[in-house]
Amino acid sequence: MRFPTRLLAANAYFALLLFAGYVVVVAVIAAGVAVFGTLSQSAWEAAVQLPRWYALFTGVALVRQYLPMYVAHGQTRRQFGAQAAVTVALFAPFLSALITLGYLLEALVYNLAGRPQALDKVHLFTEPTQVPLVFVEYLLEFVTWIVSGTFIGAGFYRWEGGGLLLIPVGIGLLLLNEGAVGTDHLGLPFIGDRLALDLPHSLGLALGVGAATFVLGLALTWSIIRDMPIRNRKS
Amino acid sequence: MRIETEDLVLRYGETTAIDGLTLELEGGKIYGLLGRNGSGKTSLLSILAAFRRQTAGSVRIDGRPVFENAAVTSRISLIRDNGETVDIGTAEDAIFFAEWLRPDWDGAYARSLLDLFGIDPKKNVKEMSKGQRSALGVVIGLAGRAPLTMFDESYLGMDAPSRQAFYDALLADYMAHPRTIIMSTHLIEEVSPLFEEVVIIDRGRLVAHEESHTLLARGTAVTGPVAQVEAFTAGLKVLGTRRLGPTASAMVYGDLDDARRGQAAAAGLDLGPIAMQDLFVHLTGGPGAPGAPGTGEESPAAELRTGETR
Repeated sequence: MRFPTRLLAANAYFALLLFAGYVVVVAVIAAGVAVFGTLSQSAWEAAVQLPRWYALFTGVALVRQYLPMYVAHGQTRRQFGAQAAVTVALFAPFLSALITLGYLLEALVYNLAGRPQALDKVHLFTEPTQVPLVFVEYLLEFVTWIVSGTFIGAGFYRWEGGGLLLIPVGIGLLLLNEGAVGTDHLGLPFIGDRLALDLPHSLGLALGVGAATFVLGLALTWSIIRDMPIRNRKS
Repeated sequence: MRIETEDLVLRYGETTAIDGLTLELEGGKIYGLLGRNGSGKTSLLSILAAFRRQTAGSVRIDGRPVFENAAVTSRISLIRDNGETVDIGTAEDAIFFAEWLRPDWDGAYARSLLDLFGIDPKKNVKEMSKGQRSALGVVIGLAGRAPLTMFDESYLGMDAPSRQAFYDALLADYMAHPRTIIMSTHLIEEVSPLFEEVVIIDRGRLVAHEESHTLLARGTAVTGPVAQVEAFTAGLKVLGTRRLGPTASAMVYGDLDDARRGQAAAAGLDLGPIAMQDLFVHLTGGPGAPGAPGTGEESPAAELRTGETR
């Protein structure tokens, strides 16, 4: 199997551009709050709710955009599946590293400004500077959101409206990860944080569940795309 | 690449798009794939390119099955108007992936084609005109140099000068790098000079597969006084007749030997060629689609399928 250099490079490049823009936006908003109000908490913690939606749509785009392109260029679904799996496995830690970097940048700025970088939610970490734990928490989150995206995206691509039926399964994957990590801020539309799995909390379990979610999500996606027709949508 | 299909069937729910199609195409030629809307052209090409798996029957390319067979699919390119290969950001982005995924990609040729069609590599594909998007698809298809390259009406959005530039480029590149090319089109008269062989399908079935000149030679326009035309064409397969006062012109399908041609001359009848588009229209049911699915009428194609065409 070829290493998915370009698939990874294209997504990483786009993510870097978004990250740079997002850091600026969050910094401006945080500065506004500091000037006109009271900034006593981590702004980055609130801001990183959005990137996981980006991760979800990256998963969707892998199936909706890149799979048809691969097949049109004479690649098999199996070749694409292998490259997509490697891409997810490397892109999720890349995103997590960016989020971790964001926390560190924020810690630096808050420290210079003499403001406390307090956390508002439950995490694997208690301080934003606990780099390994920050990295692991967001790694598990992004892995789960991306594979949920590939799975739900595949369902909509193959069955159009029938893809709606797969959304609960995708949410199930997210809840599984949320329960294992012990965080409580899924914040999905219409559901909020009402659904939660109360699992024992340990780093080992979280890593195990994360790995299982990654494999399960990709396996479910593969079961849909393995013989999926490339649609003849009208442009 | 040699293409063989046997009793090929493709169904979408209740609809049968390909209905027992058996076809053999030798490699190294330019084929025209003709058919009305909904005749199954796109479905056939989609199966050949492994875009979808057939419901029944077999398809083999160079003797090997196609679906999920990387050794075969890597040598196949299908460019559709849907834009699978181009809707990926900018034209440069589309090229970025094409050169990586296409084993026979020619980057210098791609750049020359971008210049030929006036495509800005930095421009977002979604912001391009339909003609530019079509042209970018053509660039990807030609520069990919796949041994089996198929264009499914992917150049219809281009304006006439651009289409002509495409035909010229295709022919020149085909001469320099011979390969199998299949072009599905509705612009029959415009594209037919490129075709070495023509495949006509209707309602998912094969109507005709002939060398272009053989197919054209099978059609003859017989023009003259009404009575003489009717007498001459009695017993022949008449695809259609037009009358203007005392003069009639009948389109006849089938070989006319020297004796018959002599009879025509003796009766004062003119024999002339039929345009491929006219032949196509009548082979697939005539203008206004008599014999269209659900009408219960038989098209002339139904008779011809069991006759001299394959």
